[in-house]
Amino acid sequence: MTLENLLAIHRLQTFEATPGGVQRLLASAERNLADARLSVLSAENRFDAAYKAIMQCAMIGLWAKGFRTATSQPGHHQTALQSLPKTLGLAADTVIVLDALRKQRNLNDYEGDPVTDAAVAECLAQAEAIISHTRQWLIRHRPDLLAREQ
Amino acid sequence: MLLDLLFGAYRQRALTQLLLNPDSSYHVRELARLTGTTPGTLHKELARLAEVGLLSRERQGNQVRYRANRECPVFAELAGLFRKTTGLVGVLAEALRTLQPAPELALVFGSLARGDENARSDVDLLLIADCTFGAAVKALHPAQEILQREINPVLYTAGEFARRVEAGEGFARNILANPKLFIIGRENDFGKLAGDSSPADI
Repeated sequence: MTLENLLAIHRLQTFEATPGGVQRLLASAERNLADARLSVLSAENRFDAAYKAIMQCAMIGLWAKGFRTATSQPGHHQTALQSLPKTLGLAADTVIVLDALRKQRNLNDYEGDPVTDAAVAECLAQAEAIISHTRQWLIRHRPDLLAREQ
Repeated sequence: MLLDLLFGAYRQRALTQLLLNPDSSYHVRELARLTGTTPGTLHKELARLAEVGLLSRERQGNQVRYRANRECPVFAELAGLFRKTTGLVGVLAEALRTLQPAPELALVFGSLARGDENARSDVDLLLIADCTFGAAVKALHPAQEILQREINPVLYTAGEFARRVEAGEGFARNILANPKLFIIGRENDFGKLAGDSSPADI
């Protein structure tokens, strides 16, 4: 589904991001990734921090295209992840993995299922990859959003 | 294949779809499309299966819809047979074949293993393997489409799983104590992974 279609069905709203806003979100994603690397934390919290970093990058992707998710709608995480091929140009099979991490998070958060080491490792690897991808993507496509604000 | 011997191809495909989705009812054309069969022949199959009470027929306007009949005395056994062969187990085994390194063990737990699933139940899959979570998710993705259910893989290495059982973690113990459908490996392989000492070890 195109971003415009998602806008038409109210999954997305138009939004004009400021460079300051994008940079703050990117910095927050990087802090979350740093926290996710702390092996003294529980698997749950490391997973959560890495997942949050992924979600923040997905949001930056939407912002850079002039949208944001409608948080009043259910499933806005899913919408943000599934928009990634259209926003940051991510491969479809990467999104399949990210969406599986989203489902894992639901199981962990709402059913108390334990997070496996493999899920933490994957979430961490995906967070690292998407942060570096997001930075590169912004440099190429929206350098204005990385510029220092006047 | 065991099931090929027992049932013709159309009957197998129709029963797989119907028995494994007992909360859904289907119109003949819809079922033909889902199972890759032709409506004419399928129609005769469905009528016969309904006649003996395996399926129930519902009239909706001028359409006839078929669904599995849970009231049929052999429903549970027959659904179990399909679940263990062409249905869930067969589809998952096929999807996992591509996974490298090959899992040591794979089993379904939760509602589908217990046989009390509903139309929205996910497939809870325990994998004991050394592959990455991402590789498992990608390998299983096509199976979601076929099964029309989401698959939630829970991936452990053999060492991590044994440690969690040893630590008395509820989740791992729960899997051990409840019904399972084995995809790769058997009950005694699972016992070994979980750290059971067999009498021979003592």
